[in-house]
Amino acid sequence: MKMEITEEEEGVVKVGLVGRLDSPGVDAIETRLTGAVCPRGARTVVDLSGVEFIGSLGLRMFITIARTLSRRKGKLILYAPQAFVAQVLETASLGDIIPVQPDAASALAAARA
Amino acid sequence: MAGTAPESCRRIELRLAATREGFAAAFDQLRSGLDTLSLIGRPRLSVELIFEEVVANVVRHGARPDGRTTISLDLVLQDNAVQLTFLDDGVPFDPRERPDPAPARDLEHAETGGRGLMLIRSVCKELEYARTPEGQNRLIVLVPRDAATGARMSDGARSGV
Repeated sequence: MKMEITEEEEGVVKVGLVGRLDSPGVDAIETRLTGAVCPRGARTVVDLSGVEFIGSLGLRMFITIARTLSRRKGKLILYAPQAFVAQVLETASLGDIIPVQPDAASALAAARA
Repeated sequence: MAGTAPESCRRIELRLAATREGFAAAFDQLRSGLDTLSLIGRPRLSVELIFEEVVANVVRHGARPDGRTTISLDLVLQDNAVQLTFLDDGVPFDPRERPDPAPARDLEHAETGGRGLMLIRSVCKELEYARTPEGQNRLIVLVPRDAATGARMSDGARSGV
């Protein structure tokens, strides 16, 4: 699982993920991702276009991070999921609690709103 | 039967320790086996999702304290479906008795976990459970190979659950 964290304009943090958000994948990134965005309550957008698979542990990770960010006036926005990942997010009704945008532009706009 | 691949070409058998390390190694073996079977697309991802959720659940919640719990998977590629039979000697667990988490009204009240079984149900068309006389959990899951069948995961079959 590869992860790249970059600072965008207006304090938005962009996270690019490539690989699989299965158990080993979540184990590989969760601590670093949480540490990078949660302490400062960052407005965070996560590019899922390079993620082909997500399981319940990946959903759990996003919910936990999103909740922490929300409590610290930040936010988490996911965008550009591949078809299977989008179906998993839909099945779990994740979009009801974490915004899922179709592309980077709309995700960044939502993060800055 | 003429035109039918040999049984060995349509089957994957795995046995693993119910530990994180065992899980990671077996997942690699499963994916290599699925490559060999040329199972691709949504059916393959569905199989991987079921393996992930079933095995992770045993590792996290079903393994006995002595650390000797084992899990086996027998995967058979059928013409229209993939049948996965899991056996584990962990604590008894009937997934049919576990309800899906309640819909979250907001992030603050959302349950963080409990979605694994929901995901399994959404991609399979049958799910059977039994506690065997030998004291094992036996879970049989049938995944459709027709991509259209699983197109709407939220319509996943519950009749067999």
